[in-house]
Amino acid sequence: MTRQLTGSPAAPAQTVQAPPRRGRWSGRTRRDFFVFLALALPNLALIAVFTYLPLINNMYYSTLDWTLGSASATVVGFDNYINFFTSSDAPQVLGTTLVFTVVTVGGSMVLGLLVALALNAKVRGTTFARSAVFAPYVLSGVGVGLVWLFIFDPGYGVLSWLLRGIGQQSPQWINDPQLSLVMVIIVYVWKNLGYCAVVYLAGLQSLPKDVMEAASLDGANGFRRFMSISVPLLSPTTFFLLITTMISSLQAFDLIRIMTPLGNGTSTLIYEAYLQAFGAYNRAGYSAAISVVLFVILLIITVLQLRFVERKVHYS
Amino acid sequence: MAMNLDRRNFLGLAGLGVGAAALAACGGPSTGGSVASSAPSDIDFTGVKAAGSFDFWTSHPGQSQTVEQSIIDKFQAKFPDIKVNLVTAGANYEEIAQKFQTSQAAKSALPGLVVLSDVWWFRYYTNGNIIPLDGLIKQLDFKIDDFQKSLVADYQYANKQWALPYGRSTPLFYYNKDHFKAAGLPDRAPKTWQEFAEWAPKLQASSGAKYAYIYPALAGYAGWTLQNNLWGWGGSWSNGWTFNCDSTESVTALQWAQDSIYKDKWAGVSSKNAADDFAAGITSTTISSTGDLLGVLKSAKFNVGVGFMPGGPKAETNVCPTGGAGLGIPSGVSKEVQLAAATFLKFMTEPENTAAFSAATGYMPTRVSADMTAVLAKTPQIKTAMDQLAVTKVQDNARVFLPGADQEMAKAAAKILTQQGDVKATMTDLKATLDGIYTKDVKPKLKS
Repeated sequence: MTRQLTGSPAAPAQTVQAPPRRGRWSGRTRRDFFVFLALALPNLALIAVFTYLPLINNMYYSTLDWTLGSASATVVGFDNYINFFTSSDAPQVLGTTLVFTVVTVGGSMVLGLLVALALNAKVRGTTFARSAVFAPYVLSGVGVGLVWLFIFDPGYGVLSWLLRGIGQQSPQWINDPQLSLVMVIIVYVWKNLGYCAVVYLAGLQSLPKDVMEAASLDGANGFRRFMSISVPLLSPTTFFLLITTMISSLQAFDLIRIMTPLGNGTSTLIYEAYLQAFGAYNRAGYSAAISVVLFVILLIITVLQLRFVERKVHYS
Repeated sequence: MAMNLDRRNFLGLAGLGVGAAALAACGGPSTGGSVASSAPSDIDFTGVKAAGSFDFWTSHPGQSQTVEQSIIDKFQAKFPDIKVNLVTAGANYEEIAQKFQTSQAAKSALPGLVVLSDVWWFRYYTNGNIIPLDGLIKQLDFKIDDFQKSLVADYQYANKQWALPYGRSTPLFYYNKDHFKAAGLPDRAPKTWQEFAEWAPKLQASSGAKYAYIYPALAGYAGWTLQNNLWGWGGSWSNGWTFNCDSTESVTALQWAQDSIYKDKWAGVSSKNAADDFAAGITSTTISSTGDLLGVLKSAKFNVGVGFMPGGPKAETNVCPTGGAGLGIPSGVSKEVQLAAATFLKFMTEPENTAAFSAATGYMPTRVSADMTAVLAKTPQIKTAMDQLAVTKVQDNARVFLPGADQEMAKAAAKILTQQGDVKATMTDLKATLDGIYTKDVKPKLKS
């Protein structure tokens, strides 16, 4: 587009090429943009109202000394963060979160892969087995927690009964904080390994058969084929599972709430945030600060995974 | 993907940030200045007409949903213009408190009447979430002198009445009569824990039960029941606002409890519910709420005995804490709703209704004039709970007035009773925690 500029009256009129103005769209671009808005805005509005607004609200609350239920609060800046990181609970909560996340992610993925390998075998009953393995994943965490509590109960639980049968006493799964964590991890892995198994199974079934057959002809045994071909080719699946299971583990709540309501030994970041605000303490601002810490950790982990781990992924 | 942050983008982002911050500041609590820590102390209900309906939030203590509904039905017949909506607002006191606090924060959907437990009502008071009932008690003629004095006194602070007793309980000593008989023991609860320590080996030898005694589940209300041990040894969680849980007496009491598990090996700790463990025959004795009485009597396949809480070397009586729940009226609802709720509250706590509630649950009648003849004829064990009322004591401030203290006490008890932690060190840590909670969360809100 050209534009005529007029200099001083004495100067001869000249025509110059002006740079194109941004923001001027053709009719078609504008039409496309409105279609985009019509399609995206409702969803964006929902995400903004139910995800980003609470997130921003939570960040604001984390700067307040606010007792849940109280109409007033005091702005304290970063005091809640300082109080959390300098409290005696912080190392325990962060440590519990680390142990819970690493073991549940590792356990679910390793066991899920093993189960997927078993389910990938062409034998009778695999359809039923696949359903059975996946079923716990879709069950209510509350129901699962209650049933497993009965199994672990040292007084009259099924496990206690079995142990008594061989002359052993049941460990104090519920009262001992360390065993409580083990108990919750076992149940969490049991509930979630079906998800990993099914995703890995899909990955296994999409592996190129010709490569496997060529490796067999070259004399590679099953273990070698698995380690040298299956595992590298499954790396996109592994990467996907690593991100999703880690986020899921860091957000695990229902089983912990049902099985160990006091959070004694099982208080992860998210459960500590719940206990502080909605448990007996009612420290809403402090709880919001813990939530922000969890959010930042999740963000950092996800960015690191996308930036560094993804480089190791082999996309066929 | 590279992103060029030019002036326009920067201004856009800055605007978004400022907008978001402004939006965030719109919700939540006020930070503009201090707000009164409690509701107005005198509310004038003159000329107020009761609302046509209100919600009654309850956790149905003692599985009381049926009896609650029947009382509501009777109320509707008498007051057809006031509809009471019975709302299950949680499975226990903690869940109902969580829902209530969340509604306070959201400033919406508040009930007209709410069940509040012994460890929650004070927080509602300091947050200004409930109204004083004095004006309504006078206006509606509640006959407050007919209420059990110790139970009414539990909800008094700053010369005001903040709630009235409802599902009120105390701990009771439960024992398996058959086990006691087999062990050649008298058919009664022990007078002191020392006496029980002598009985315990006999019980273990003859009963076949895993434990002679089981401590209540720590995830329940360990801070409540352990007051019995602390008081018996001359200790406590606190004396007024002085937290003396690390005193020699308190440490000795809890050391004795630890020894009963690890040294003498006749006691255990319940994982979930001591009353269930007792009814299942896992233990010969336990202490549990009076609210568990009917459930135990129904499920136990043996003769159940109940008795007063045992004393200790320093105190043989007055070692039983009060407990349970009351009913309060939120400040965040209209006067019309408050008046309607108070009308129902008066009806709910009338002698015949408290007797009906007691008969259905095992909780204690809150009115002196409640006719318990029929109830006692059917369940004579309730008489023990009623008689014990005369020797109950108001709980330690630390447990009922400090937010989160009950959980901290349970954690400390877990360390001592399930991990054999050092008692003195654990109690010293607990004292520091309680001091911290008091200084930060309670002291600034107390009226001088």
